[in-house]
Amino acid sequence: MKKSGSRNAFLTICIAPATILFFIFMIVPTFNVFRMSLFEKGAYSPKETFVGLNNFKVLLQDTNFIRSMQNMILLIVIVTIFTFVFAIVFAAILTREKIKGQNVFRIIFYIPNILSIVVISGIFSAIYKPENGMLNSIIGIFKDMSSPILWKGEKLVMVSIIIAMIWQAIGYYMVMYMASMSAVSESLYESAGLDGATKFQQFFMITIPLIWTNIRTTLTFYIISNINMAFLFVKSMTSGGPNGASEVALNYMYAQKDNGLYGYSMAVGVVIFLFSFALSAIVNKVTEREPLEF
Amino acid sequence: MKKKLLSALLSVAMVASLLVGCGAKTEAPAATEEATTEAPAEEAAPAEDVTISVAAIETAYGADMWAKVAEAFTAETGIKVELTTDKNLEDVIGPSMQGGEYPDVIHLATGREAALTEQFIKGNLIADITDVLSMTVPGEDAVVSDKIAGGFTDTSLTNPYGDGKTYLAPMFYSPCGLFYNAGLLEEKGWAVPTTWDEMWELGDKAAAEGIALFTYPTTGYFDAFLYALMYSVGGPEFFNAATNYEEGIWDTAEAKTCFDIIAKLATYTNPITPAQANDQDFTQNQQLVLDNKAIFMPNGTWIVGEMAEAPRAEGFKWGMTALPAVTAGGAGYSYTWFEQAWIPSGAENIDAAKQFVAFLYSDVACEIFAAAGAIQPVLGIADKLEGDNVMFYSIYDNGAKAAMGNFAAYESVAGLGSVREVFLDPVNSLVEGNMTQEAWVESIKEASDLMRANLK
Repeated sequence: MKKSGSRNAFLTICIAPATILFFIFMIVPTFNVFRMSLFEKGAYSPKETFVGLNNFKVLLQDTNFIRSMQNMILLIVIVTIFTFVFAIVFAAILTREKIKGQNVFRIIFYIPNILSIVVISGIFSAIYKPENGMLNSIIGIFKDMSSPILWKGEKLVMVSIIIAMIWQAIGYYMVMYMASMSAVSESLYESAGLDGATKFQQFFMITIPLIWTNIRTTLTFYIISNINMAFLFVKSMTSGGPNGASEVALNYMYAQKDNGLYGYSMAVGVVIFLFSFALSAIVNKVTEREPLEF
Repeated sequence: MKKKLLSALLSVAMVASLLVGCGAKTEAPAATEEATTEAPAEEAAPAEDVTISVAAIETAYGADMWAKVAEAFTAETGIKVELTTDKNLEDVIGPSMQGGEYPDVIHLATGREAALTEQFIKGNLIADITDVLSMTVPGEDAVVSDKIAGGFTDTSLTNPYGDGKTYLAPMFYSPCGLFYNAGLLEEKGWAVPTTWDEMWELGDKAAAEGIALFTYPTTGYFDAFLYALMYSVGGPEFFNAATNYEEGIWDTAEAKTCFDIIAKLATYTNPITPAQANDQDFTQNQQLVLDNKAIFMPNGTWIVGEMAEAPRAEGFKWGMTALPAVTAGGAGYSYTWFEQAWIPSGAENIDAAKQFVAFLYSDVACEIFAAAGAIQPVLGIADKLEGDNVMFYSIYDNGAKAAMGNFAAYESVAGLGSVREVFLDPVNSLVEGNMTQEAWVESIKEASDLMRANLK
């Protein structure tokens, strides 16, 4: 009895620092976001007025906010689909096939992850430059470019951001898929090969089912990271322009703080928080499968 | 034997180095003591041991001038200055201000994207500095108000609440107008347009040669443009009515003329402008003028320093003109853009801070600023100008009228954008052809009603 008591005390002491820090830096701020969303307050003024759910009511009619949410959802969906497909195909090729210079490819694919987002934005801004930009110069070889394509113009700006985001994300997820793919036993492929299964069949019937738990985890990662990455890319590439065409929810939240609407921006934060939570939960539920053992 | 000798030598060396170490240590405090005892003696009487923190935005003028002015201020008054300068000043001082810790003096203009100064105005968080105007400038006999040029402390930029009290001190002014390559116009034999009709003619002529008439760095630069345009279309009465969002003002003939001109200008704008009209790529739009791909752009005198290193077309020469008049013989206007320095009401050393603000208008400070290209709005500054600035600042002597003021401050309302978002950002869409003039005006009217209802 006494022994287990001291053991408990020891455990408490061990866990306490992490728990306290987590509480102070995670729970309290999150709670504060929810509380502040019910108030109206300038970012720098100490005065705050309680407005109830009014911030949320206005939010639902705010066309700029709705557009920023639409853009965010577009980014989550498109970037996730393309990154997923590219990452898993590249991972399968690099783990299953014998290619010369495999390691070089691995490194090349992973490099975008080491670069900071600001650097990537700079690279892509140069690529997208209307005059003398790499993309327009290449297209210019094949077709008359007297009126250059405006990659960062209102119509194409989202496409441009999507391309940059996919380029940035592929390497990271590829490495994650490769890790779990290399854990799949070689004998399964061998016997499948003897039974006459093609590479495609092997990929869909062996690889995918066996790394399914990993895929599920990464789907949640996609949602959370795309919300954050979208903010970073937009902030460093377009500042939400031109005329709000590339505004995303987190950037809108940030801008509202600058407009002197701290409570309103917290309300945006609450919506994003609940949205990402709900979406992750739904995705998690939908992709639930009996875990396969091998 | 040899070993012993070696170890003895080594130990001697060790002890010696130890002693040296101690020696240095004991010497150092002595030196600092001397320094600290010396300093107060030099400082003379006033305000000993006060340290004010000054936060200033680093713009095209550079940060060195602030360090020099702070030094000169300390030498004059004995008040020490802790200086913070940064290009993104809001990000540096913002977080600590949210925590309730304010710099004593902030030099940060309105109209920036983070709109920090606007928030302080809207929140009534700026100290009243009307009494600074009657203070004597440290180290001089003159009173501050005698030094500041006329009109600068009567605008809504310095007296945001319209109660006759001054809250923001006017700093570095710059006539804004349309900047162009004077060399190009000379070479082609084109005259600088004095009316908008001439402007459009020039636009057609230039288009025939593959040169666009117009570009703009970002839509933010349209503020000075719009203000000057409103003045030249309807004079001060229209400007005041419009900037106070008077009911029905956007339905008047004057307003329509303004909108028509901007919408027409959009069709004459270099089409790649909107794709680069963001805070990251705006210099590339400015480059269009240097490369003779666009003739005019709205800008301020800082452009010369900002683009000093940029490559340019042969025979390039900066030129600047006021906005053309609406009718022949009408007045051309040039907006006088100026920055502001202010004291947050939460500052600790407001009295010392006020002395610093007063010192900013001293001859010493003005000279330091002018050497970096920053021109203080003081009388007689014209003699201190050099180079291109002589031409720029003489714009008002050459017939252009000065436009000052800005849109009135309004209480922030959820869902209502900033002035820039409502009035200026849509210009990007106009140029790209994704928005009609009617839709733009309609959204301005709607927002303007809300702004009026929430006027401070």
